[in-house]
Amino acid sequence: MKTWNKNIYRSVILVSFLGIIILILFGISQVLSYLNTGANRSSMLHVNFENSQVYLPKVSWIDTINLGRPIEKQTLYDIQKDYLNAWYVGQVANQTYDTVGISDYYTAKTRKRIIEPIHNNKANAVRVHSTTIAHNLSLDFYSADGQLAVLTDKNVKQYQRVYKENQLLLETEIISDYKVLLLLEDGFWRIRHLIKEEAQPIKDIFCTGHLTMVEGDKIYVDHREFQIKGINYYPQKTPWDMFGNDFDPNVIQQDFDSIKAMGLNTVRIFLQYEDFGKAAVKEEKLQKLQQVLDKAENKGIKVIITLFDFYGDYLVLDWTLTHRHAEQIVSTFKNHKAILAWDIKNEPNLDFKSRGKENVVAWLREMTKQIKQYDPNHLVTIGWSDIASANILQDEVDFVSFHYYQDIDDFEELYAAMSAKIDKPIVLQEFGLSSSRGFWNPFGASEKKQAEYYEQFREITQKQNIHYLFWTLYDFETIPTDVVGSLPWRKHKQKYFGVIDSEGNKKKVLEFIGD
Amino acid sequence: MNLKRIHIALGSLMLLCLSVGFTKMLVDKPEVSAVLISKKTIYTAGQEIQLNFELSTSVHTQLFLHSSFGNTILESENGNFIFPKFIANNKGMIQYTLLFDSQQLLSGGIKIIANTNTKVELESYVGPSSIIAGGNDYTMPVIIPTDIYDNPLPDSTAIGLKHQFLSNIKEEIVYTKDIIGWSAIFSYEQSGRLLLSSKVKETSSKEFSIVVFPALPQDFRITAKRKHKYADGNQITELITSTLKDKYGNIISDGTLVTFLIKNKKGVLLKTQASTIRGIAIAKILHPDHQDLWEIKAFVSGIAESDIVQIEYESVLDDFKVQFSENNREIVVGPLVSFMEQLIPDGATVTLKISQEDTIIDTKMMTSSNGEVIFKIPEGFYPNGNYDITIKTLGIEKQYENIIMQ
Repeated sequence: MKTWNKNIYRSVILVSFLGIIILILFGISQVLSYLNTGANRSSMLHVNFENSQVYLPKVSWIDTINLGRPIEKQTLYDIQKDYLNAWYVGQVANQTYDTVGISDYYTAKTRKRIIEPIHNNKANAVRVHSTTIAHNLSLDFYSADGQLAVLTDKNVKQYQRVYKENQLLLETEIISDYKVLLLLEDGFWRIRHLIKEEAQPIKDIFCTGHLTMVEGDKIYVDHREFQIKGINYYPQKTPWDMFGNDFDPNVIQQDFDSIKAMGLNTVRIFLQYEDFGKAAVKEEKLQKLQQVLDKAENKGIKVIITLFDFYGDYLVLDWTLTHRHAEQIVSTFKNHKAILAWDIKNEPNLDFKSRGKENVVAWLREMTKQIKQYDPNHLVTIGWSDIASANILQDEVDFVSFHYYQDIDDFEELYAAMSAKIDKPIVLQEFGLSSSRGFWNPFGASEKKQAEYYEQFREITQKQNIHYLFWTLYDFETIPTDVVGSLPWRKHKQKYFGVIDSEGNKKKVLEFIGD
Repeated sequence: MNLKRIHIALGSLMLLCLSVGFTKMLVDKPEVSAVLISKKTIYTAGQEIQLNFELSTSVHTQLFLHSSFGNTILESENGNFIFPKFIANNKGMIQYTLLFDSQQLLSGGIKIIANTNTKVELESYVGPSSIIAGGNDYTMPVIIPTDIYDNPLPDSTAIGLKHQFLSNIKEEIVYTKDIIGWSAIFSYEQSGRLLLSSKVKETSSKEFSIVVFPALPQDFRITAKRKHKYADGNQITELITSTLKDKYGNIISDGTLVTFLIKNKKGVLLKTQASTIRGIAIAKILHPDHQDLWEIKAFVSGIAESDIVQIEYESVLDDFKVQFSENNREIVVGPLVSFMEQLIPDGATVTLKISQEDTIIDTKMMTSSNGEVIFKIPEGFYPNGNYDITIKTLGIEKQYENIIMQ
């Protein structure tokens, strides 16, 4: 017993000795690495300076011809990058009072002038959320030694939201011209002078080559009236991941064949924001989308493309990244004949609570303008999840889209009330019923019930000439957690909305689809 | 009947209450309209800026300002707003929006211009700081005149620019545009130092100094200088350039590197370098240790070259003595004598090749001391037998065949 005790003491002493040694070594190493920070050459010269693109407003160079000297491509790139970063750190400071980075992008004398209003705002509890959307730069002067440049930045489109004590005070879009003098200091092009000048706005010129149009409450495709009879589409094996690694154009071809055979003329598909590469859209994804659109065109099917699926950050400072995302996709396909409309976002009103209605609506409003700017040929809509939200931004969109999963008996009344308030075409963009009766949903609808539901809807849509797209083609075997969360009964319900079951058998509902 | 009256009375009382309540609600959120009284739209930096609005109802209003450097909200109970200094001192457009309870009543803009009545402050940048003579290259002074609030003065502000070079002092007037005033000052034909200064109104800049370097050197000549013509491997030959000048006659900058390439009789290239001092480069090279003929040419790489100079070195001796002793295991070479029959200075190389049946076994090399070299061929390494010996020094070679070592 005694030796046993002794052994315990020994091991405790040994372990604590080792522990203390480890702690001491760790402490010394921490002190050494702290003393080393900032002293190595790479950090002094800013060569490994954090350089991820967080701010990408649209920049156009009008001209770079100046009397000083011709500018090198690389310098022009550096100036542009640092100038935009200057705007970015300024906006972060306006929003958070955090003046980090100001000293990198403004010279010592100018820093004071930008920090003073921020301190004042802090004292008065004023916050400004802002972003610039477009810059039109021209180079007025570049000095012979390459250390000084003067720019004119015309028509700087700046969106701002002003809060006082967290109350929204003002939402505004300001167009300004700026004269800017930059100096090259410590490897940064820093702003020395910034002067807001009287803006001489250039009118946005939209070229009109409309492939699709809206007049009154009717939709026209190639100058012929178009009645949407459609479906929300995901391939059976890859729901919510249509353009992933398992992308198979043959499957899509077959599905389009069966959709056409049902007598439908439109599909709605979804592009996930992150999957498509966020601000730098992946070429491979665009090629896949091209294939889908080409197949649709061959088959005579129109496509509504829903952008920004699974996107949830509507912060003003994130706007420019989403603008670049939209620009790359939309301008690539602006002449594609298969596209009917760009649906900016699926059910954005569900984010009102968590992200703030003003954030979401302002983002959507600007996004409609962005998309119209890059593609004047196709229509723009927003897929609201309910009737109550449908009239939001109705002046901005070409047609109004809403989803309906409530009681079918109330539909006609609610629809009539809504259409009285809206003088644009209205599209019932999603509806459907899950034949999900089973263990997780003992009181759910049966396939028969689903068929009756569709029969009733067909009557309504035919009677009132309603544009519709139902949810969806297939029953799915797996539902990603991002869609309805991880609760099994929710996932279960989401699996059985199809008109063809997961084995490929036609469900009863199929006979009530199409005309 | 009475009851009915009471009902009516009660009803009208309720109506009254409601309507009073309703009007009170309306009073709480009145329709406010505003008119700007101050008509001035252009202000000078540093002046007090006050915007006065006449409001239809006296309420608390706010004024949102958007200026070059940020945003501000001013508060007022009477519709009079005084701009804070950090707005009023900065040049540029200011857009304002008058707000009442998040409602936009009025918006507009004013302009603040630089204050030309204050003392001018100058910020000057000059570069490049060194240029090349000849009138093709230039330096560029860029001047930013500002008022005391650091606002750039308006376009077309006159700047007096002076520069001095040798005996010249010149002055020109440039006018600001896009914040700055600038000029290109071209070099003269001479090299030297260029001094610059600028002046706006009463304010003068510092002195800036620019170095005007000579332009590129022209082709030049070279000469060789040596103590004697003998190939003793001991003395040094100096290779000297003529004074290197650019095409305007300026002596090129000190430190310009001149490379001398020497081709000997066998076609082997030798190289030596020197940098110029006052236009002249002097390179040094050891005499060869055998009779030779050198062709020498010098270059400033990629820029200029010299003529070709030939020099010949004569052999210092025709023959030398070799003595074998200690069973031929000790070989004494020398005395080696130079051109005046003096002992050759220490350090002349002597090589000895030992071979057997046409296979070289070893090459030994030693340097002379007191005109002599002693080679020892130890028994341990070289077993007894017949060897062929070749001895070479100062360009002369001697052969001894079948030397028996024991």
